[in-house]
Amino acid sequence: MAVASDPVLTFPPDQVPDPEEFIQAAMRWHFSPTTGSPYWLRRARTLDFDPRRDVRAFDDLQLFPNIVNELRDVPARDLVPQGYGSSTEVIGVYESGGTTGAPKRVAYLADWMDRYVTWSAGRMDERGHPHGAHWLAMIPSGPHLWGEVVARQARRRGGFTSTIDLDPRWVKKCIAEGRADEAARYVEHLLEQGRFLLETQDIGVLVITPPLLERLAQHEHLVKLVNEKVRVIIWSGAHMDADSRHLFRTEVFPDVQLFGNYGSTMILCGAVERAGSEEECVFDPFAPHISFSVVDPETRRPVPYGARGQVVMHHISRSALLPNNLERDVATRIRPEAGHLGDSVADVSPVRTFDDEVVIEGVY
Amino acid sequence: MSGPRHAPTHPPVEAPTYASVGCPVQLDALGPRGAFRARNRLTVADVTGRAVAELSQVPRLFVQRGLSALRAARPADTGEPAEVIARAGHAFAHGSVGGLPASEYQRLVSRVSGVPVAVVRSATARIERAAAGVERTVRGARPTATAGHWRDPLTRGGGAVWARRGDVFAVHAAGNHPGVHSLWLEALTLGYRVAVRPSGREPFTPHRLVTALREEGIGDDRLLLLPTDHQVADDIVRGADLSLVYGGDAVVEKYRGHPNVLTQGPGRSKILLADVDTGGAAALSSALDTVVSSIRDEGGVACVNATAVLVAGDPAPVAAAIAERLAGLPSLPPEDDKAVLPVRPTAEARVLERYLLGQAEGATPWLGGDGIVDELGDGSAVLRPAVIQLDRPNAPQLGIELPFPCVWVAPWSPEDGLGPLRNTLVLTVIGGDGRLVERLVDEPGIGNVHVGDHPTHRMVPGVPHDGHLAEFLMRSKAVIR
Repeated sequence: MAVASDPVLTFPPDQVPDPEEFIQAAMRWHFSPTTGSPYWLRRARTLDFDPRRDVRAFDDLQLFPNIVNELRDVPARDLVPQGYGSSTEVIGVYESGGTTGAPKRVAYLADWMDRYVTWSAGRMDERGHPHGAHWLAMIPSGPHLWGEVVARQARRRGGFTSTIDLDPRWVKKCIAEGRADEAARYVEHLLEQGRFLLETQDIGVLVITPPLLERLAQHEHLVKLVNEKVRVIIWSGAHMDADSRHLFRTEVFPDVQLFGNYGSTMILCGAVERAGSEEECVFDPFAPHISFSVVDPETRRPVPYGARGQVVMHHISRSALLPNNLERDVATRIRPEAGHLGDSVADVSPVRTFDDEVVIEGVY
Repeated sequence: MSGPRHAPTHPPVEAPTYASVGCPVQLDALGPRGAFRARNRLTVADVTGRAVAELSQVPRLFVQRGLSALRAARPADTGEPAEVIARAGHAFAHGSVGGLPASEYQRLVSRVSGVPVAVVRSATARIERAAAGVERTVRGARPTATAGHWRDPLTRGGGAVWARRGDVFAVHAAGNHPGVHSLWLEALTLGYRVAVRPSGREPFTPHRLVTALREEGIGDDRLLLLPTDHQVADDIVRGADLSLVYGGDAVVEKYRGHPNVLTQGPGRSKILLADVDTGGAAALSSALDTVVSSIRDEGGVACVNATAVLVAGDPAPVAAAIAERLAGLPSLPPEDDKAVLPVRPTAEARVLERYLLGQAEGATPWLGGDGIVDELGDGSAVLRPAVIQLDRPNAPQLGIELPFPCVWVAPWSPEDGLGPLRNTLVLTVIGGDGRLVERLVDEPGIGNVHVGDHPTHRMVPGVPHDGHLAEFLMRSKAVIR
């Protein structure tokens, strides 16, 4: 039987709740024996603090260990809060890309999807994105989350959706095995499929990853079609460096709005590009459900605003609790929008590796 | 690609200014739509570690768009660019290019590369000469029975025309010596559209040369400077028809199977003293002049500097004499007019020293046996010469090339054969008879042969340095009319 949660957890989309009230309500929900998930109730017994007593404010989230690695093995069913009772609607079980080992997985509940889609659709309205457009999504579907989210976003906005599926794990495998040519052939295959749609349909919104968009930009014919038809390019799934973003905006797709999303399976959605992000691409998360901290990876302390650090992510909703996950991404710490929890981030990029080898032999 | 629809929106680009504390020179990428100052920039430091320039690092998208523009550009007509190149060479050597006078350019190159400024000056003059004579140089490489143009009477009733193997030529340049940039001017002359990826260690020379060429009239869509990181650099080679890649053994190995990539690797130039005992004291002294200048001129940083000396007879007196002549070279900062030895950041110099000493173990050091690092006290260090004697001509150290005057001296006799002389860019042979010279010229493992007192680093206009580049760029195409 379903148990009512504190209404602060399901605040109306036009309001931002008091952060402390919100966090405390979430702790009550996820750690009460009647409402918490089997996973968290079990895990709580191993914590050296009591979340309901000790986690009162945003900074207290640091008390939690990073549990995402456990999501490789935990039965997805155990992640669902018992408070939903028999009314649970699990849309799907979605997985991370598997870059750092075996995939991690989360259970995705319908009420959270509805909240996220409502919020993100609002951000699109603010930017004047079209309603009723035909969307072309050249992105991964299951086991990844993004395809499902985009299908619902398009539907919410009265759109049609065409999808060209992309398997990022296969691409990563090809590249890891030194078969870059095979990865390139696969990408050309995807673009060819996209071309049929761009040629014959009135595509108004293109959803795509930066690497694929970069490949698309090599085809003059496709660039022309996108500039003629597409009004918004929504990109996510990989980082876009500031120089490429500048070139896309000013030279390659000057008439198209570029709308970046920064997401992760481990926060069950994404953050969206702040309107008016000119020089640097700022992402604002769906606070307080999603919050970021940009920290020094050594000390785990926040870096100053404007400095680079590693991104820590938190997801807090009625449907899930995934706190304190140190991501591999590096970003600039940005002041959040007024009244929001945590940080906003800009110019996200993967952790850099440096070429510091000393070349001994030879004179070059 | 679609043409420009908006006014260019590149970040504002100012002319490079003199490097001063806190105000590094800006080296922009030079793309098909002009200069581009990337947000992502590499700091170029001088030998003390002080930042003197920022080199824009373009993303893959910029590279791809640049190469597309090159491919779309009309090839220059035969001979058309030669005059422009000659003018640009003059401006490069004497003028103010992109706001930078020649003297300041040379000072900066010596400060970042550690190459003595006098060497940079002579390289500047060499680039100027190469630019002035580029048309003659490429004509000299053309097979004699081949016409330069299809309208030539030679093709009546059937003949061969010299034709490009591709349209877009890419260069992954080296940063060891500015002189490497004289070579790709030949590709430009032959109508190739060229993309140069500068070395992050010394980007000033290619930036200045490309800027000068553009200022003199080579179209922005025909010649690009694409500074970028290692990862994207591979895209430049993949995207070009033909490429010239400078690098060490690993790079040479990487591209061994690629018919469209020409590599320029370590030179391992050598000197063979075939019978020094017979020529008397004057001959020996003159031969030693040649040996010493082969080792130390150009600061010892070029692939044409001698790294090994093979001696028919006892190598010890030769090694001793070389050491004596090299020992007195002064340790000076690279921008000093009298500097002759290269300078590196001290930490880097120490790494080279450790490597050298490890390799020299068991051999007989005549110079440098206690180390080669001479610190200048400002974070940089002079790399002093090393002379090390080996006991046999097939010792593996003979193949070690280091970026300073460092020479391995070993015995050799005709019974040892040509094996120890192979894998050599330039071999100077002093003494020996015509039959020996014949064998050396015939040996495919020896790139160039200098007979007599001609140092290994001697370059003569029109004489190929490592084959004619045009042998790689062009082919004979039948035309019957």
